Amino acid sequence: MISFRLDGRSVVPPYLQIVQQVRQALRMGVLDVGDKLPTVREVVAATAVNPNTVLKAYRDLEREGLVEPRAGLGTFVVGRPSGPPPGTHSRLARSLAQWVHSAREAGLDDESIESLLRITLRAAAEEETA
Amino acid sequence: MTWLVWRQHRTQAYFAAAAIAAFAVLLLITGRQMASQYQAALTACAASHTCGNLANTLNLGSPVVSFLVTLTVAVPCLMGVFWGGPLVAREVETGTTQFAWMQSVPRSRWLAAKVGWALLAAAAWGGAVSALVTWWSSPVNALKQQNFQPSQFDIQGIVPIGYAVFAVALGITVGALLRRTLPAMAITVAVFTLLRLVVGQDFRSHYMTAVTKTFAFLHHLPLPAGSYWQVSGGVVGPGGHISSSTLAGSGAHLSIDGLPVNLVSLPAACRNLAFQSPQKFFPCLTAHGYHGFIAYQPADRYWAFQGVETGIFVLLAAALIAVTAIVILRRDA
Amino acid sequence: MMASRDPVAIQTRGLSKLYRRVTALSEVTVTVPEGRISALIGPNGAGKTTLLRVLSGLARPTSGEVAVLGGPPSQDPAFLASIGFLAQELPLYRRFTAEDHIGIGAHLNSRWDGPYVRQRLESLGIPLDQPVGTLSGGQRAQLALALTLAKRPRLLLLDEPVAALDPLARRQFVAHLAEAVADGGLTVVLSSHLVADLERTCDHVILLAASRVQLCGEIDTLLAAHQVLIGPSKDTTAIERDHTLVHAVRTPRQTTLLIRRNGPVADPAFEISDVGLEELVLGYMGQQAGPASAHLTMIGEGQ
Repeated sequence: MISFRLDGRSVVPPYLQIVQQVRQALRMGVLDVGDKLPTVREVVAATAVNPNTVLKAYRDLEREGLVEPRAGLGTFVVGRPSGPPPGTHSRLARSLAQWVHSAREAGLDDESIESLLRITLRAAAEEETA
Repeated sequence: MTWLVWRQHRTQAYFAAAAIAAFAVLLLITGRQMASQYQAALTACAASHTCGNLANTLNLGSPVVSFLVTLTVAVPCLMGVFWGGPLVAREVETGTTQFAWMQSVPRSRWLAAKVGWALLAAAAWGGAVSALVTWWSSPVNALKQQNFQPSQFDIQGIVPIGYAVFAVALGITVGALLRRTLPAMAITVAVFTLLRLVVGQDFRSHYMTAVTKTFAFLHHLPLPAGSYWQVSGGVVGPGGHISSSTLAGSGAHLSIDGLPVNLVSLPAACRNLAFQSPQKFFPCLTAHGYHGFIAYQPADRYWAFQGVETGIFVLLAAALIAVTAIVILRRDA
Repeated sequence: MMASRDPVAIQTRGLSKLYRRVTALSEVTVTVPEGRISALIGPNGAGKTTLLRVLSGLARPTSGEVAVLGGPPSQDPAFLASIGFLAQELPLYRRFTAEDHIGIGAHLNSRWDGPYVRQRLESLGIPLDQPVGTLSGGQRAQLALALTLAKRPRLLLLDEPVAALDPLARRQFVAHLAEAVADGGLTVVLSSHLVADLERTCDHVILLAASRVQLCGEIDTLLAAHQVLIGPSKDTTAIERDHTLVHAVRTPRQTTLLIRRNGPVADPAFEISDVGLEELVLGYMGQQAGPASAHLTMIGEGQ
């Protein structure tokens, strides 16, 4: 069974850490379809996290189609995270490398690049929710 | 709540039971001895017609046990200090009231159980000690007829029950007010002792109007019968003015028939005769219209007095418990 | 997530508590919906203990309204059975054993789960037959919590329960608490002056400072509503007009603003960051009095 490890100092909120750890476990093969996720109670006992946080994470995973709650039995894995179509990663990696090259030429160091990336991601997220 | 009260005070109860058992054994054994000693003496004096003087010649029982019996006057005070003082104060001090009051039992029920059992225990133990002492003292009472005197009155009959209940109520109330055990214990001793003295010395003689008997000097005093309690005595002049009291005053004193008399209050003509020619002193007083008097409470009023005094202390206890209830139930925890 | 229409476990309006010379609480208005684990935060002397004592019925308010689980706190056995209060001193009978306490609870409570306490203590390795006074602080805290939970209350009020515990004991205690909430039907308010520990477990916060409420609400909502803006030292009137300024730190070169947002922030010169609970609390306390650094010490180290 998977056990969760929450980093209190990470910028990623706890519920998202749980979601990410489930997805990662599925990708790595630690979890597979048919496996039972720890109960809310078990996660809470191990991590002292708020029960609603776990509920929220499991709901998000359910919405993504990765898990399914079965009344009285628990929450079970029903799917694997869908990866992007083959070749997408390498295509995007190439355009990103070009962008990083021009950014470096403009004089940005790694820290500025990361900062810019964070701001851009945030703005994009706000646009999506708007 | 009963279970909790028992669990909390179990050790105290065992200790008190052991103490009373030991006391009972001692008194039962020596009491029986005293009773048979007295019976034997009565038989003997009846034969020689000397029973009238028995009170002066017979020493009943051992002085050690008698002393122990007189010490039982302290029992109510001890109960008040050790059972009453800590009852509420200790729990407030250690914070365990916050535990008890957050169980599903209201404060009123908690208080009623603790106070109720404490007062019941006080009455029971006080009553047991007093019953033993009263039974043990019956030969002495018959012989010396002194059970109405303060030293005996306080430890026999039913007043010790009243004292015990009051002492414990006092301890509980002071503890509830002060919220600290040791100061509560100290103040309980002080207030209890003071009140007992005031009631015993000042109030008791006035529960009923004393009977007054006058007599001519040098005649045999027609003493009242049985275990009467003399509250005052002295010399009364013509027109009823009293020349002395039982309390010592300032100035020269003379003892007339065992009664203290302040010389200054006597007619001038007789004063000098008091020491120079005693045989003329009394006729002089009688000639001036002076008589002796005693004021006393008759023996048949003994139980009435016991009842009144017990009632006073029980009422005081009730008033104190009312104060405790108000304090505990209305004050912030 | 949680609906804001959840029934309310605690509701106070204008609650004030005055002692002879001291104002312990001043016009406190808070709402705690059911099912929350609420952190009652504030420096020492802010009124946290007083608020908890008023909510539990141990103290009476001077003025204002208090509603706990639907009505004012009372001595009614049904009410007493539905709330649990754990005072900071962990009041237990020192000479009694844990087993004795279980017996006391069984006799004094209508609803009582004795086996739960025994099983809990066994799993923590706490002996049942030793006088409670001989147990360590952490063990006593766990015992007290188990006893309070054994009566199956609907609302649990805890006053600085983890202040004297080591980090492991603290974690076990809070996990125990969160587990009980996971089982359902329980709302918790726990007071603390250590914020960092509580952020992952609590979903609601009440910030008390100088006997007044500075913040009260769901943590996620509050965090989403606030942002930190870092930028060059310049005129910030426009930002302050559009949004609510909570706390500002200005140096000759840089300005840091903690704001309560009212729409998106228009000024591109400022870098926007999310706020964590600790920073938010510090910001609201910083506006209270004096430099933020004094309060940093108070909360960061914990007493």
